Amino acid sequence: MRISGAYTLPADPERAYTLLQDPEALAASMPGCRELVRTAEDEYEMKMNLVISSIQGLFAGKIRVADKEFPARFRLIVEGDGKIGFMKGEGVLTLSPVDGATEVRYDGEVQVGGMIAGVGQRLLDATAKYLIKRFFEKMREWACHE
Amino acid sequence: MIPQNFEYEAPRTLEEALQLLADGSAKPLAGGMSLIPLMKLRLAAPERVVDLGRIPGLSYVREEDGVIRIGAMTTHYEIESSPVLKARCPLLAATAAQIGDMQVRNVGTIGGSLAHADPAADYPAALLALEAQVRLARAGGERTVAIADFFTDVFTTALEPGEILREVIVPAEAPGTGVSYQKVAHPASGFAVVGIAVRLRRSQGKITLARLGVTGLAAKPFRALAAERLLEGSSATEADVRAAAGAVADGVEANSDLYASAEYRTHLARVYAARALRAALQAA
Repeated sequence: MRISGAYTLPADPERAYTLLQDPEALAASMPGCRELVRTAEDEYEMKMNLVISSIQGLFAGKIRVADKEFPARFRLIVEGDGKIGFMKGEGVLTLSPVDGATEVRYDGEVQVGGMIAGVGQRLLDATAKYLIKRFFEKMREWACHE
Repeated sequence: MIPQNFEYEAPRTLEEALQLLADGSAKPLAGGMSLIPLMKLRLAAPERVVDLGRIPGLSYVREEDGVIRIGAMTTHYEIESSPVLKARCPLLAATAAQIGDMQVRNVGTIGGSLAHADPAADYPAALLALEAQVRLARAGGERTVAIADFFTDVFTTALEPGEILREVIVPAEAPGTGVSYQKVAHPASGFAVVGIAVRLRRSQGKITLARLGVTGLAAKPFRALAAERLLEGSSATEADVRAAAGAVADGVEANSDLYASAEYRTHLARVYAARALRAALQAA
């Protein structure tokens, strides 16, 4: 499943770039994030409790940041696994200044498998968009308050 | 599969149910047409379930003061076959008749369906076109919310933890209102790939009221305001119908899945909007 879109963060690209790789900001913004630990340079481990309506699942995942070009773009590689399914995704985030803020454009490919994909295929796309929206809304709050 | 263990409560009064749900940790169970399969697949694993099915007085359809009140535990079948709704709010009855299959309609409830907020559920299209309201109850209070404010995102509603939907309020229609619900049913699930509800009134050849509710197309059901504006005041010629149907997906980010791409869904929405408009015009 291909996902792409854009959100604006109220910060200059330098700060937006730093925020999007700041473990504390990420932990606060990832929907359902319980724990986010840096395991190596540009590598993180994460535990998530995703809740969408009645559906709920614990996931353990890894996040890796690559191809860093401060402050314009980086590649994000995410893997997650839980009882109800697994996901693997890779995408590029591109940051560009817009009127004192930063437009963050994401473009990537996500694979979802297991029970959740079998039963929820019909809703994966809408749910992915919803989770990304929640992430950027939180990130925006974080950018305003810090 | 067998669900994970959970505590089961079957209160006999609404007050008792609201007390049990008050801290927001328990899950209310209505008809169980969504929650039970999710629990069996272990996609949902609530620790405590509060069954609303033994509470008397939550299943009714009654007309009073120009509106029709529908209890949350009223089943889809009771709605599709209700003489009051068939006569005074035919759009809702016609929509209920197209939900899932007969087994689901016999057990599933309007309150459960709305609270679950599947973005492809049928009711939301009709209720948006009807400008319905929902009454939400919690321990020690209640509030009434317009249906357009009730759906906030995919699977997400204005319901706060501890709150349940207890009643749906729809207008008792004036005679001469033309309505239609047209859907493309997903072949496996029966959910709406796209569903369009139309409600029209006409006076001296001009459309005086146009409401279009759309489900299945986007993350949440919505009213096609651009299409409504094109219709109101028009003579509803075939060209007007086509223009309005063409605008039904304006500004909408369409859903996409293996069955229907965003592009195909958008196309379906336009085609089915035109069909629903033509059908409603016949009656208006």
